[in-house]
Amino acid sequence: MGRATYIRRRLILMAFVLFGVTVVIFGMIRILPGDPAFLILGDRATDQKAAELREQLGLNRPFLEQYWMFVSGFAHGDMGRSLLYRQPVGDLVLTRVPITLALAAYAMGLAAIITLTFGILAAINKGGWPDQLIRIGFLFALTTPNFWFGILLILLFGLTLHWFPVAGFGETLPQHIWYLFLPALTLALQLSAVLIRNLRGQIILTMRSDYVRTANAKGLSASLVLLRHVLRNALLSTVTIFGLQFGFLVGGAIVVETVFALPGTGQLLIQSITARDYPVVQAITVVSAVLVIVVNLIVDLSYSFLDPRVTYE
Amino acid sequence: MFARKTGWPVIAVAIAALVLSACTQTGTGTQSPTTQPSASPVSKVLRMARNAEPFSPFVPWQIDDNPALFISVNVYDTLLRTTKDGTNVEAGLATKWESTADGLTWTFTMRDGLKFSDGSAMKASDVKASLDVARAGEKSAWKDVYVAIKEITAPDDKTVKITLKQPYAPLLSVLAMFSSGILPADMAKATDAKDYDNTLAWKTKGTGAYYVEGWKKGDLIVLKRNPNYWKGTPALDEVRIEYIPDDNTRVLKLQGGETDVVDFVPFSQIAALNTQPNVKAQTFTIQQSAFIILNNSKPPLNDVKVRQALNYATDKEAIIKNVYFGQAKFMNSPIPQGTYWDKSLPGYPYDLEKAKKLMSESSGAAGFKMDMQVRSGNTNFANTAVILKEAWAKIGVTVDIQTLDTAVVRTNYRAGDYMSTPSAWTNDMNDPTEIVNYAMRGGTSPFAYWTRYNNPDLNDKITKADLEQDAKKREALYSEIQKIYLDAAPLAFIAYLGATAGWRNNVDGFFIDGLSYYRFEDVKFNK
Repeated sequence: MGRATYIRRRLILMAFVLFGVTVVIFGMIRILPGDPAFLILGDRATDQKAAELREQLGLNRPFLEQYWMFVSGFAHGDMGRSLLYRQPVGDLVLTRVPITLALAAYAMGLAAIITLTFGILAAINKGGWPDQLIRIGFLFALTTPNFWFGILLILLFGLTLHWFPVAGFGETLPQHIWYLFLPALTLALQLSAVLIRNLRGQIILTMRSDYVRTANAKGLSASLVLLRHVLRNALLSTVTIFGLQFGFLVGGAIVVETVFALPGTGQLLIQSITARDYPVVQAITVVSAVLVIVVNLIVDLSYSFLDPRVTYE
Repeated sequence: MFARKTGWPVIAVAIAALVLSACTQTGTGTQSPTTQPSASPVSKVLRMARNAEPFSPFVPWQIDDNPALFISVNVYDTLLRTTKDGTNVEAGLATKWESTADGLTWTFTMRDGLKFSDGSAMKASDVKASLDVARAGEKSAWKDVYVAIKEITAPDDKTVKITLKQPYAPLLSVLAMFSSGILPADMAKATDAKDYDNTLAWKTKGTGAYYVEGWKKGDLIVLKRNPNYWKGTPALDEVRIEYIPDDNTRVLKLQGGETDVVDFVPFSQIAALNTQPNVKAQTFTIQQSAFIILNNSKPPLNDVKVRQALNYATDKEAIIKNVYFGQAKFMNSPIPQGTYWDKSLPGYPYDLEKAKKLMSESSGAAGFKMDMQVRSGNTNFANTAVILKEAWAKIGVTVDIQTLDTAVVRTNYRAGDYMSTPSAWTNDMNDPTEIVNYAMRGGTSPFAYWTRYNNPDLNDKITKADLEQDAKKREALYSEIQKIYLDAAPLAFIAYLGATAGWRNNVDGFFIDGLSYYRFEDVKFNK
């Protein structure tokens, strides 16, 4: 099977997954108790006012009709209107998606650099003190909750050293890159912790194989053997984990965005769940699902670049 | 090399995303690139970080959330204003006001030369148009407070006449509320159209110290100096307000010098901040109180002795010290510290012996189990609940703390499906009529703040107090009302709370008034 057929199949599969996501999220948020009308109108609203609002927002229509409106609207690019903000959900969500996406991608970029640096360092010093230090250090990063870790980074790099801003998003592109560094690092350090362990193990395993011994025997330099022969083979499983972690990043971004006051989808999602803002919750969930699926597809496709033997069957 | 091949999708996505977000940011129009804060020796741009973003439509009488009304009072001035201590009214757009002897007709005379922020003259007809939409407009959220008004007329450009159906003492306080902000007549009328666009509402035209050119959720809110402001030019050119939801982050930004003012400083951090060289933090007295709502319809809470026992067994000092870090005061009366607050009332001082005695004489003598539904995410409520669980156990009450989503707690107490829940109240106007009608009047929704307490005699007194014209007699009536409600103890009264804020040392004049409004008109940098 060629790559094109494979992609086509995956896209069809994606449609089914998305259908499942819409059903689950539509049902789940409505099972939660709590009436959006009272959340919008506040504690002091009368029952009559709330009833009028429900009517106005279409909340008293049959579930199936509401579901159909949600799905058919989505298919046509219309995500509905936010119950709370009374503005099109598209405007609300789509301006924020790039921020979360940039944060996740930034974190993945940093994680790639950190993983390669420390993974290789640990592997070639197997059992030595750099190896132990790296393993213990990243275990700490992995087991620390990221909202706390973020605050630690703010205290160190923001307040004490003044290298990076405390929080916010900035207004220009260079500012965005600067402002996003600490939140991206928070996520990246945790992500790297998983990846480094994996990469280290894979490198050590690969180094024992015959072709590496052959390469060494024919007198190639150690760094050439490592980069060309060992790493390329060792990376395969790390890349798989790397791709799967994108979902984790989108989830982790929710907390990190709140700590660093980034106006991304995570922050909006928390507000919207609390306010039972159904259309916004639905839109963010579906958009996130699409992103995760697409990134996983990209990762799967990248195998064939890494290892030409990989075919899609 | 592997790195090039694996790295490209990630890097491409990152770059595309950043470029895209840069585009969406610059496309909004409110974030002017011209002003970089703290560039000049004495800055004229104040940066503020706030805990929440507005969500109501930005029309004074359609506003139903604090972040929106805090902006509104800076933009839309009112005929009268609440005094800084929140207990009286003073001149706003109007400098003179008088009523006929029967209290049915009020005449307001406005200042000379009033202008909207766009330079057009403000006339009495604008006042009439705005208040008419506020009191009768389809979309007004505050119609209830204007029901006593029969007619508003504008005999000339400087005079407004308000005729009442019946005498209504709180009228002046109502006219000082944020919902009585004045818009140009055409704009005021347009806001009531079915599909009025909120982006239009954010292009403000008011008589306040500042105006806003536009705002979209997620952007900074930029208040610009109104060159036509009647009180003279404000010292600040701009106030740039950003949204930082996390309490710790907001305070860290203040400490790091990335913002000049923050609101909602956690009570626990006030003292620590004041030991630092460059920042100040303070609690301002506002008309707010914290208490536990008791469901008076659920036995044995229907027994007044049980409710009084719970009140005496409530260790207020422990809560004030441990939950509010000393930044709160003993609550001696059922209403907040505003107009007609009776400071002579005793409240329920902590007295375990009295509580035990009352309990032993009550229908709950054998002890009972009671749920306490706490809104998740509210640490103050959660900590209060923990202290009460221990305190009330001493009189045989087993408190079952249930942490629930705010939405669920609200649904439950509206439906009467709860026994107790921590809550708080803030006055929207500097007159007790609002709280007594909401929290004490029984029989109809909201059933005396959902307590289901109902005392027909008290209901009559509440009505009488609204109609009474004589200030002395009104005060006496409200004293009586407070005493009756305090004795009946439909709530477990705890503390009067304050509003907190922190600012850099070089900021002068930041002040939160009794209704928790803050205006930037007197704020300036001292260096």
